[in-house]
Amino acid sequence: MHIFGYRLKCLARDREMVFWTLIFPLILATMFHFAFDQLMGRQETFRPIRAAVVGSDAYRQNVAFRQALDALSGPGEGQLIELTVTDDREARRLLEEGAISGVITVDDPIGLTVSQSGIEQSILKSILDEYAHTYATITGILEEHPTDPAGLLREIGQVRTYTQQISFSSAEPNTTLNFFYALIAMTCLYGGFWGLRNTTDMQADLSPQGARRSVAPTHKFGVVLYDSAAALTINLAEVTVLLAYLMLVLRVKFGNQVWYVLLTCLAGCIAGVSFGAFIGTFARKSEGVKTAILSASSMTMSFLAGMMMVNMKDIIARKAPILSYINPAALITDAFYSLYIFEGHRRFFLNIALLLLISLAICILSFLRLRRDRYASL
Amino acid sequence: MQVFRAYFKVMRASAGAIAIYVAIFLGLSVAFSFAEGPQETGDFAQTRTPIAVICRDGDAPLAQGLTDYLADTSRIVPYPDNPEKLQDALFFRNVEYIAIIPAGFSADFLSGLDCAVQKVTVPGSISSRYVDMRIDKYLRTARLRHQYGGDQSQEELAVAVRADLAQETPVTVLPSSTANGSERGFVFYYRYFAYAVLATIMMGVSSIMMAFNKPDLARRNLCAPIPARSRSMQLAAGHTIFALGCWSVLVLFSFVLYGRSLLSSGLVWLYCLNTLAFTIVSASIGFLVGSSVKSVGAQAGAVNVIANAMSFIGGVFVPQSILSKQVLDVGRFLPAYWYVKANDAISRLSRPTTSALRPIYGDVLIQLAFAAAIFATTLLLTKERQAE
Repeated sequence: MHIFGYRLKCLARDREMVFWTLIFPLILATMFHFAFDQLMGRQETFRPIRAAVVGSDAYRQNVAFRQALDALSGPGEGQLIELTVTDDREARRLLEEGAISGVITVDDPIGLTVSQSGIEQSILKSILDEYAHTYATITGILEEHPTDPAGLLREIGQVRTYTQQISFSSAEPNTTLNFFYALIAMTCLYGGFWGLRNTTDMQADLSPQGARRSVAPTHKFGVVLYDSAAALTINLAEVTVLLAYLMLVLRVKFGNQVWYVLLTCLAGCIAGVSFGAFIGTFARKSEGVKTAILSASSMTMSFLAGMMMVNMKDIIARKAPILSYINPAALITDAFYSLYIFEGHRRFFLNIALLLLISLAICILSFLRLRRDRYASL
Repeated sequence: MQVFRAYFKVMRASAGAIAIYVAIFLGLSVAFSFAEGPQETGDFAQTRTPIAVICRDGDAPLAQGLTDYLADTSRIVPYPDNPEKLQDALFFRNVEYIAIIPAGFSADFLSGLDCAVQKVTVPGSISSRYVDMRIDKYLRTARLRHQYGGDQSQEELAVAVRADLAQETPVTVLPSSTANGSERGFVFYYRYFAYAVLATIMMGVSSIMMAFNKPDLARRNLCAPIPARSRSMQLAAGHTIFALGCWSVLVLFSFVLYGRSLLSSGLVWLYCLNTLAFTIVSASIGFLVGSSVKSVGAQAGAVNVIANAMSFIGGVFVPQSILSKQVLDVGRFLPAYWYVKANDAISRLSRPTTSALRPIYGDVLIQLAFAAAIFATTLLLTKERQAE
């Protein structure tokens, strides 16, 4: 037990490591929060499109079109466009400066001038198309069956919608959550730095501490176990701090199943620490190289789990499904995701089970490697 | 000249750490530029929202007609009728709209019952409005044709509706601009430029400063027969050449990647001006970091935190248009904010006019003012420390 205690102290005093495994994720979380806070709100939410219409004689005379535009630009819930009536040159200037998305010119047919392609321009075109289409429908019907023109016009005036919002899950599909989930995964994997440090301090050829501990009369399995437990405790504490920060300060949503979330963290930390130990025992290189391998690989895994690009995780899941089953970061992220979005726990437990399986496998490998260590001279 | 020569010897020693940022940035840029696909110029390209259509109404002509119409106007991504898969698709925005035509929809619709296409979307999003418009348009037209167009079979109705919806509004694209405007690759390149140049120069300049500020080394240099002014000037010359070198590598690479479209946009000199201003800012920050930190670990921490924080809050990683007002208010105190602001303004220009250029010059001047302020602060700090 005292091995555990001293190991804990020893690790926690490594300031630089605490910075990278705790402070750095906290800072990143804050950055993510500021950056993505309104990502959903701003980027995707519909805002009325700014457009100009050239106030020519043709425009003034086309009462039906003017009414249609007025209806679309009236303030309120259904407002689609924000309209400026102006002359040709001014409209052109506004367009060139990027102040408006398009210029509508009433001619035969009604035309649109834009400076680039994009969704706003497409919606403008779609609005004009709709006018033309309705016009085509009315003239078509009146030509073929001019029985009830008044009723037809009344029907056109009625705006009906034929879509109904439903949802597969009670959770809002907020893509930005994945960034935070992947960040926790990264922090779990950064636990590997502690695991790596453990193996360095245990192997006699790597550090003086290792030499000293090798001649100590404690069973090696016990030492490994206590060391790993200490690393795990620290890592788990760090992840919990991060989690608390995300949940309580930044109000990131994890669903309502706190115990399952903590279970994910624990499994993630186990994977992280054992991964570090694995690199520590198998990569027989200098400390710097090992650290580089560890940080590069945990970054790559977090990248593949979607920490930098949100749809990365999904791309991998569809294009190379094997990768998403063996990448601990993807498993952790997916566990959080499935807790948040799905009612059932099938997918969640699949993730956790795979995660523990991978950890177990690399732990056994590392220990097998460690226990064969015999030194000719110390 | 000794100092100047020593400068580049030290630089060579830390070249690896410096090159890493440039290499990552360039690698990602290449990947992005390939992912971008062929450039369409001159013609208007209607946005096609990726959607999934699940038709549970068998092969009823009206439902089929709606599906065909959506296929023509959106990009249909084939998905099976499986809620878990569809949920994943929407969460990761492989599709932005899932339309489900319920069983018996066509029959209900034609007999005048209340019925609707079910949709799963990101509530209130711009793309959901866009697809809503399409579905409503199709069904409204169908309703009109059905009620007032006389007797006709479902097939005839579907054909008539499609004929009504065939007309297209003519769209003119301003001749002076390329069709994909702010989505052009080099716009992204020059936005991320800020991160690359900041991280690289900060790393390089601070490494040198740390080397020359090592107490023993600094003391030895102090009693060397070389005037302090000359030493500082040589260091400054070294910083300038290093910073300009980084800048020109990154600018040249943008020519390699985006050559023709960049040159034909007529905005190259503006981008150069803006990036140059930010390069100077980066050098000043590197100068500050180099004279404040002592260990390599602290340096790596400082470089990472400053570069990331500045890029996130200033709007490099996430466009300023979608940052919240509070963040932007904080961002105003960071030079990266003004860099991105100018960069965005440049990208929106289709033709540089005097009135449009004035705010851009303003942003560039603000960046230079930041650089001057940071340099002055650093000099003051070092002076004080020497006095101790």
